[in-house]
Amino acid sequence: MAERRTIEVGAIARVEGEGALHLVLEGDRIVDLRLEIYEPPRFFEALARGRRADELPDLMARICGICPVAYQMSAAHAIEAAWDVAVDPSVRALRRLYYAGEWIESHLLHMMFLAAPDFLGLDDAMEIARRHRNHVERALRLRKLGNRILILLGGRSVNPVGVRIGGFHRIPTRGEMRALAGELRAARAEAELLLHWFASLPVPSRPQDVELVALRHASEYPMNEGRIVSTRGIDTTAADFDATFEEIQVPHSTALHARNRTTGAPYLVGPLARVTLGRDRLSPAAAAAHASLADRFVQPDPGASVFARGIEVIQAIDEALTVLDADLSPPPEPRPTPRAGVGHAATEAPRGILYVSLETDAAGDVRRLRIVPPTSQNQAQIEADLRGLVPRILAASDDEGRRLAEAAIRDYDPCISCATHFLTVTVERRESSCEST
Amino acid sequence: MRVHVIGIGTLHADDAVGLAVAERLASLPLPEGILVRTCARPLPDLLDALEGADAAVLVDAARTGAMPGAIRRLAPSDLARLHTPSSHGVGVAQALSLAEALGRAPARVAFVAIEAEPIGRDRPLRPISPAVAASIGEAADVALRIAREMQDAGEGEARDA
Repeated sequence: MAERRTIEVGAIARVEGEGALHLVLEGDRIVDLRLEIYEPPRFFEALARGRRADELPDLMARICGICPVAYQMSAAHAIEAAWDVAVDPSVRALRRLYYAGEWIESHLLHMMFLAAPDFLGLDDAMEIARRHRNHVERALRLRKLGNRILILLGGRSVNPVGVRIGGFHRIPTRGEMRALAGELRAARAEAELLLHWFASLPVPSRPQDVELVALRHASEYPMNEGRIVSTRGIDTTAADFDATFEEIQVPHSTALHARNRTTGAPYLVGPLARVTLGRDRLSPAAAAAHASLADRFVQPDPGASVFARGIEVIQAIDEALTVLDADLSPPPEPRPTPRAGVGHAATEAPRGILYVSLETDAAGDVRRLRIVPPTSQNQAQIEADLRGLVPRILAASDDEGRRLAEAAIRDYDPCISCATHFLTVTVERRESSCEST
Repeated sequence: MRVHVIGIGTLHADDAVGLAVAERLASLPLPEGILVRTCARPLPDLLDALEGADAAVLVDAARTGAMPGAIRRLAPSDLARLHTPSSHGVGVAQALSLAEALGRAPARVAFVAIEAEPIGRDRPLRPISPAVAASIGEAADVALRIAREMQDAGEGEARDA
């Protein structure tokens, strides 16, 4: 009988939240491959029911410590769609600035502290700090600028509270915006240097046969608006998200898996998809950075995600500067009228499309809320990628196999805390299957 | 001399106790130079919370096998042996060693660990358990006492120099 090997990564390090990988191989056959997500399932969709819809931006900011802006933005846009609220052009611009801050912060955290140790063969970011201190300092400086943008518009960087339906609670002063613009202008060169350093590292390549999905806007790099498009012909709206994609329950995870409803195949959202589908919407500096790495973007390659993040940091700095330099006129006080309605919104979280749909009653209370975060959309693709990695895992020692699999999962920057849904049955099945293996 | 008392945690069950201690301290009149900070993720937020501090007292939930609610004062060197719940697998000990590697760690760091109940997987957004909540006041006193000792020691050194 063929030799049976079990590779378990009990708690995957350097990802957001808690997940485990369970892989059973018999000879060269995969008996079992499961990316298990065992964060405490979250009740947010049910918790929101019966609450006032205008509480959602604050409530949803609590779902994730890394991407609160994405939850606030998708929720605000969905409510504005349901209540037919017109968003002032200055608010629209400030929302781009706010989102840019989150991209900068989230991408740098992942690039330097979660991913870089894999490329350098070092155990952790502390080793990198000792050997490549200037790059770590640079990443921290850039991240802090992202943080400052979040504080400027959100009031604070963790669980920010600045967003309201139709606008912000406080509009920054011209002086505040000018001060930040000065610092960001110097930051672009730093972001370019950092990406250049990552490009010099041995970042492995792992091309995938997968459909990439992102928002596409008529003239801008996608953030808060746009149609949902793909590399294989999807071109639809957030309102048709459910007609295009479906979520399925799997027994081993408290996150739902997603797939293309027509093909039944997994798909990929996130920086790699955005950079590929929105290449012609990049700023000149980001486009130049993309061109210098063009050979890494010929095929969908999760290994190149770190470069896509680096390009998007440059893009986000340019987006922020555009808004900060625009001399915006202060928007009028938003006065949304609560009413019965249905709204859908898709925005681009740092990790990809975050879809929210909701329904409010005549008083403006939430009757129904649905959240589809990027990581649950990517989970089926992460498993497919790992299956493709099996020949290399087979040829390696258990330790090396474990390292390969973990690094591949980290390429997707999964935010497992965001991805979990509440499913009692799933939780119980997962535990019993753990005991039997 | 500035001493930062930093409550570390998330709003999830007993992991929130460090934040609750910080909240308690922030509601008190504190001696000059003792500042309260909070931090949700050791990496990278702890680096921000340490900025400008000459010394720091970190307050966090920990699991050492003691009775839930037990308060222990630890040295940074004890941290590596502890299980401190954290996101993305980078705990307080690693965030501190990163601060050291970057030359940003304060000269003195103390750690106040409050024993947590196991963080369950089945009940999200659970409040702090009663045994642990009962220790919030005492943990705040302990943290403040250590912060004062650090200030005194720092001033003593400054006089000697």
